[in-house]
Amino acid sequence: MRLAAWIGVFAALAALPFFLGSYHNDVYRKMLLWITLALGYNFLFGICGQVAFSHFAFYGIGAYSVVILLFQVNLPLPIAIVLGIVICVLLALAVAIPATRLEGFYLALVTLALAQLFIVVLNEGGAVTGGTGGIANYRLPPILGWRIAGPAYTVVIVALLAATLAVLWRLDRSWFGRACRAVRDNPEAAAAMGVDVARTKVIVFTLTSALAGVAGMVYAFVDNTVNPPIFGLDNAFLILFMVIVGGAGRHAGAAIGAILLFLLPFWLAPLVGHHHQLVFGALVLAAILVQPKGLVGLWDRFSR
Amino acid sequence: MQDFLELSLSATASGCIYGLVALAYLLMIRPTGIINFAVGEWAMLGAFGGFFFLTRFEFPYLLGMAAVVALMLLVGWGTERLAVRPLVEKGAPLLAPILALLGMLVIFREVISVSFPPDPHPVPYAFEIQHQKYFIIAVTALVFAGAWLFFEKTLWGKSFEAVALNRRAAALMGINLSRVTAAAFAGGAGAAGLAGLLVSPNVSAHYLMGVPLAIQGFTALVIGGVGRVEGALLGGLLLAFAEQLTTRYAPIPSGYAQGVPLLFLMIFLLIRPTGLLRARGA
Repeated sequence: MRLAAWIGVFAALAALPFFLGSYHNDVYRKMLLWITLALGYNFLFGICGQVAFSHFAFYGIGAYSVVILLFQVNLPLPIAIVLGIVICVLLALAVAIPATRLEGFYLALVTLALAQLFIVVLNEGGAVTGGTGGIANYRLPPILGWRIAGPAYTVVIVALLAATLAVLWRLDRSWFGRACRAVRDNPEAAAAMGVDVARTKVIVFTLTSALAGVAGMVYAFVDNTVNPPIFGLDNAFLILFMVIVGGAGRHAGAAIGAILLFLLPFWLAPLVGHHHQLVFGALVLAAILVQPKGLVGLWDRFSR
Repeated sequence: MQDFLELSLSATASGCIYGLVALAYLLMIRPTGIINFAVGEWAMLGAFGGFFFLTRFEFPYLLGMAAVVALMLLVGWGTERLAVRPLVEKGAPLLAPILALLGMLVIFREVISVSFPPDPHPVPYAFEIQHQKYFIIAVTALVFAGAWLFFEKTLWGKSFEAVALNRRAAALMGINLSRVTAAAFAGGAGAAGLAGLLVSPNVSAHYLMGVPLAIQGFTALVIGGVGRVEGALLGGLLLAFAEQLTTRYAPIPSGYAQGVPLLFLMIFLLIRPTGLLRARGA
């Protein structure tokens, strides 16, 4: 029954784009991508308690790798996707293994440096990354002779969201999810119970980074262009803020935060123009000071 | 040889800037354990303070510098009051103030980006262009000498160390924890603001200048180790020399020099995670 309800929800989400105009379809699918990203980041930050600033960079790494592998190296799509995931996993391991050896916030430090370096590499990458202009004017190759575009591509994004949620949901309910929560709440106790704390952190970081990379691959064919400004550091903070404002540690919280902070700039534009970041900063500060459980926590309090 | 001497001079000057930013992190992290990512934004505020007092109102340099430092002490104190103290008093986990400070980071940056046009703002040199590097080195040397004397010779400095070693025991010995925390944040903002003011004649004050400085500063801190004040300066100098040698001699685009901090972070976290200098008595 529960499964049937979920299938219904996702079927409705997948049907919706066919009733939207092209502008609203674009807004809608970008919102779905942000929800996907926030769900993945929530597993790392909310459930396992690790702060990293590279989630959005891995989204970019996924997008750039699939485009470069497809159109500069001319590999077939399935191989490009697998290789793109391998790149994300290897990079994530290279960063996480040194950074999780110590107690403290070294993962945050190292991933901030990584996210910064990623933008530099994009800008300086010459013909491979297309430099400051990025890469544009490519099309998703036909899959089994079918060119997926427009609302049909939004269905792909809904499938991505469903798959991401399913993976995270199962993991959260498993032994591994409980180990992650233990690492977040009390690393010493977790270690005493036989959880390998450093290894848990490395696995969660690598897994969520790979999920972000896959989301990036899907994103690459939304606008059919990838360029450095899209993957800037502002968005690295934005994902963290979405999870905090919505409610860290809860899938519903991540989704609500993503929807709210994604749509807020549209409503705020007449009031503050492009300075919605200021409102985000204030929201985060307010959330941490007065409502650490986020909007979901607020909902719990009133529904009881 | 001439070339190498010039490179050493400019590396020493940038190393001093990184050292000051690292000192700002260290001042806060030692007594509280809080890593404050807004340090880079504080440096940016210091640079804009320089633009405001020195370029717009044409204060004499030393008076303008004093005004910037005073302003930054106030900013640091206010930040602690607003984003750190309420959480510490509530007994929230250490992560909470760190995240609140990230919110402050965005607020600082956006307040500047709303108040000033987005183009770079010029800040004057202390004397002449060719003397700025010596000035940076001299000011940094003074600040570090002062910090060293503070930690080694004064009772206040000892109370900082006591809090760093054991918060509970320090509190039981009658050390006022919240006063130490407030002083740590004020001092951190002062050091970071000074770094921003000193570096701004070369790069101009810009609202996005904070993040690279924040990254270089904490890399310097990881290299030197959080245990000792001198470590911050040593780490800054090492990082700056590595960066300058890379841009000068390695056959890669100069932008990739921004990868040097990441490389250093990984190497030091792998082989010497406590940094080069060990904490005394630890």
